Amino acid sequence: MTHLLAAIGLPYIPGWDELRPFAADLWLIVTIVAVLITPFFITRSNIACALVALAGVTLAFLSQLLVRNSPHVIGEHFRGLLVMDQFAMLWKLLLLLFVAGVILMWFTTTASNMHEGDGPEFFALLLSATLGMSLMASTSNLLMLVLSVEMASLPSYVLAGFRKTHRIGAEASLKYVLFGAVTSAVMIYGLSFLYGLYGTLQVGAIGHAMAAGAIGVGGNALLAVALLGLIVGIGFKVSAVPFHFWCPDVFEGASIEVTTFLSVASKGAALVLLIRVLTTIAAGLGFAPHAGMSLAALAGVIGVMGAVTCTVGNLGALVQTNIKRLLAYSSIAHAGYMLCAVSLLVRHKATIVGEDGNSIAAQAILLYLAVYLFMNLGAFTVAALIYRQTGSEDITHYAGLSRRSPLAAACMTVFMFSLIGLPPFAGFVAKFNLMWVLGTNGGWWWALVAVIGLNTIFSLYYYVRVVKIMYLTPSDAPALNVNPLGLGLAVACAAALVLLFIGLAPLSRVTTNYGKLYLTSQTQQQPAQSTAMITGERR
Amino acid sequence: MDFLSNWLLTILIFLPCVGAVLVLFAKGRDAVRWTALATTIVTFALSLLLFATFDWHQGNGKYAYASEGGVVQMVQQAAWIPAFNIQYKVGIDGLSFPLVILSTFICLLACIASWNIDKMLKGYMALFLFLETGILGVFLSLDFFLFYVFFEVSLLPMYFLIGIWGGPRKEYAAIKFFLYTLVGSIGLLIVLIGTYLYSRSVFPATAGNPVAGTFDLVKLAGPEFQAKVMSVAGMTSAVMKTFFVLLMIGFLIKVPAVPLHTWLPDAHVEAPTPISMILAAILLKMGGYGIFRIAYPLYPNAGKELWLLFAIIGVVSIIYGALCAMSQTDFKKLVAYSSVSHMGFVTLGAAMMTDAGVNGALFMMIAHGITSAMMFFIVGVIYDRAHHRELARFGGIATTMPVYTGFSTVACMANLGLPGLCGFVGEVMVLIGSFQAAKPDSIIMQYTKGAAWPYIMTLAVISCFGVILTAGYMLWTIQRVFFGPEKNEYRGFPEVDRREITVLTPLTVMAIALGVLPTLTMFVFTQQTVNALFKLFS
Repeated sequence: MTHLLAAIGLPYIPGWDELRPFAADLWLIVTIVAVLITPFFITRSNIACALVALAGVTLAFLSQLLVRNSPHVIGEHFRGLLVMDQFAMLWKLLLLLFVAGVILMWFTTTASNMHEGDGPEFFALLLSATLGMSLMASTSNLLMLVLSVEMASLPSYVLAGFRKTHRIGAEASLKYVLFGAVTSAVMIYGLSFLYGLYGTLQVGAIGHAMAAGAIGVGGNALLAVALLGLIVGIGFKVSAVPFHFWCPDVFEGASIEVTTFLSVASKGAALVLLIRVLTTIAAGLGFAPHAGMSLAALAGVIGVMGAVTCTVGNLGALVQTNIKRLLAYSSIAHAGYMLCAVSLLVRHKATIVGEDGNSIAAQAILLYLAVYLFMNLGAFTVAALIYRQTGSEDITHYAGLSRRSPLAAACMTVFMFSLIGLPPFAGFVAKFNLMWVLGTNGGWWWALVAVIGLNTIFSLYYYVRVVKIMYLTPSDAPALNVNPLGLGLAVACAAALVLLFIGLAPLSRVTTNYGKLYLTSQTQQQPAQSTAMITGERR
Repeated sequence: MDFLSNWLLTILIFLPCVGAVLVLFAKGRDAVRWTALATTIVTFALSLLLFATFDWHQGNGKYAYASEGGVVQMVQQAAWIPAFNIQYKVGIDGLSFPLVILSTFICLLACIASWNIDKMLKGYMALFLFLETGILGVFLSLDFFLFYVFFEVSLLPMYFLIGIWGGPRKEYAAIKFFLYTLVGSIGLLIVLIGTYLYSRSVFPATAGNPVAGTFDLVKLAGPEFQAKVMSVAGMTSAVMKTFFVLLMIGFLIKVPAVPLHTWLPDAHVEAPTPISMILAAILLKMGGYGIFRIAYPLYPNAGKELWLLFAIIGVVSIIYGALCAMSQTDFKKLVAYSSVSHMGFVTLGAAMMTDAGVNGALFMMIAHGITSAMMFFIVGVIYDRAHHRELARFGGIATTMPVYTGFSTVACMANLGLPGLCGFVGEVMVLIGSFQAAKPDSIIMQYTKGAAWPYIMTLAVISCFGVILTAGYMLWTIQRVFFGPEKNEYRGFPEVDRREITVLTPLTVMAIALGVLPTLTMFVFTQQTVNALFKLFS
């Protein structure tokens, strides 16, 4: 018995100081439980669950706001399993804001025809996925990385097929789960090599270990496989080419609020995770090439991947006629733009990733996500409103929308122009900021700037086609009586896009302040600690 | 007065935008029309106040702010995005002054010309006024970023105005216009970012100004940036040329110059008459303005190095545009191609980098603004009655509509460059400027050490033939449309009505005034600035 206790160690009880930074995640857990027990008390449980979920997300948002300046928030917690920094904080706030928007959107779309009693499951799944995505932002431990990715993925698979009677939904779910399972397996396989090579699960410690010594030719091959596995796993979540095939089918098959949720939250979380892992490794290496680990090659791979992803996304969207598929390809393209900026994070340059973890590339991605959230939420909301009235997702049925619902058409126009990246909407400043960050690095990164510019031209055609059909194609279809709450949400998003354009100064200030990564190199952590944690030894 | 000179430009830019919002809330067709008209009238009246506040004698002839003794005045600024040092900064000088007056003037006339628009009137007027905000913003911004924003903003309403209210192939024309212009804009965006990045080394952060770099167009054209951009910021000659070419592509698409001009005939033919007027009279000038405000002042050395390329583009535009115009069977398409030909003179005048050339190009922009608006309106008048624009089917209109024929003849003569009318001055000055470039002390001759002489002479001589071609197709048009035996199908046509005369008269007056008194109406305002700009090149 004593041997057993010695083997597993005394139970580890975290203190408030360690729990406080994760107040938002704790509130999410509480809300999941609350959503699950709500039907025991209330008969009309769908609406009640939605309200509970909305309240929980709001509380989580507020608690995250409250603790942002508390002492001991920034840094590693739970023996390095989780990390909290400004970057993760802002992502969590954006994510929670977005999820609140998705729940509001649910009221306007599925609320009335969701089967009674499905609500608790739906919101429990939605919030579980949210929790996973929130944790993805604050992980720098391989074990936690896998856990949080799966935490985000598994509920998403179910959500994609949540319309149980829809054949296409089932197909979407199956496709998603098969793709997800394979890429997860590849990722975990790769990560196991990392552990095998360096004997630690802490990403920061892995970086230091890499810097410490060469690992030989065979080791380099293993390292390449390991990083490839990581890129495959996260590339799947980001829907980076060539792991993007699931995206249009899943987006088309899933119900529209799930599609909305996946389009921003899932991709954003994966990008945020990629940023953290890569930057932590690069910082551990001191942003310098070491035997077997060429950061320039890594940056090149990601940059090329980003360029290919946005090009494929935009070219694929050109021929789409289903609004959800069109927006799916558009989201592939936007993920590609952001991937381009991720390639900078492993660059050694004081102006890009500062000694204190201040990173303009992280800033650009945060700013892009903050704007992209409103564009996509709004565009999908309008699509959902029209779907609910006409039962069609085909953009040819948008004909004459300017007359049938002028406000919805005007909002959709704003979202389309913003997605192209035209002023006076915030999509322009997000893209400008991104291109500027890439240009700052100079050299080959100007090629990425040019690729993004070229893609803007490609994208013009299909976004404007939606506008064209709404305004230029005549139709005698009857006027639409759209849901006022949904319309309000769309107008709010459109207004947000104009305001964020004019008010770029505060947005840019906030994202600059929060574009800061906690890099383990500051603490000179010993690899022994995390090994100890895994084997259960206490220090 | 102080309030005026501080706020006038901002009010000018945003007043039409306010008018657009009012239009959206107006009830009834007449209320919408009169609100829009009142907005354009007030905007025009306010722009006339510029004559009182704009001081064309000011400054010591430097291209700098009035506070530094330069020509750029009435500056109003506010920090917009401190992280990039982006400012809301508007100001006026001799380059923008005539274009601002032209814009408010043509917008007012186009608003009157829009009186017979019936389809979705509210949306039309709101977009129209929104477009005016974009146009005035382009001409008045002194911050590169702000300029770019307005440049793009003017794109959106134009797409709808052509796409919704246009002719049979409106959708094709609208998307083509949008795509072409956006291609140019992306190049501009890349230069915008690049120039800012280089400017950070030239203007490092100081105690008073914590952010390095600037988007300020006057500062970027100033001696400090010009002197240090290569030595301190490390911009290579190749980068400079790339930036210059990207800028020129962006602006030449808008101008438009051959071979980037193919959007223009489509857009013009499909656009409704008032929008064609604005497109030809003002939107094309945004390209020309950009060349003089941004491309040449920021990268004059690249301009010197690549002069031959752009001079050839100018000459080809003149000749090719005129030849195309000659072969058209559609009246409106003919006028559209004549725009390509005339705007070729602007490109040529800029590329030759001589005093007379630059002055002539600037004058040409204003003169073309007057004549093209008039020509498009004249085409619109006859189209309203005949419902076709085929030149071959017209004939003998002079008998049925003598007053209309009178106006048309003035417009055509002004367009072909008859002495005494506005088209002449611009063309002649650009041609003189081209020959001046062959003088040994010209910028290009100095730069090429005399090697450019045969090229300059060849190009100048060829461009002279453009004048003959223009006269050819314009006279032939008059003959085909107005003269000849009276045709039965046009017999009952009503003469131009009061509204149409209201539009045509001021344009005719301006065409004559600019032609007879070019100095008083134009050069007196622009001379100082053009000289100041010109010093930057040499």
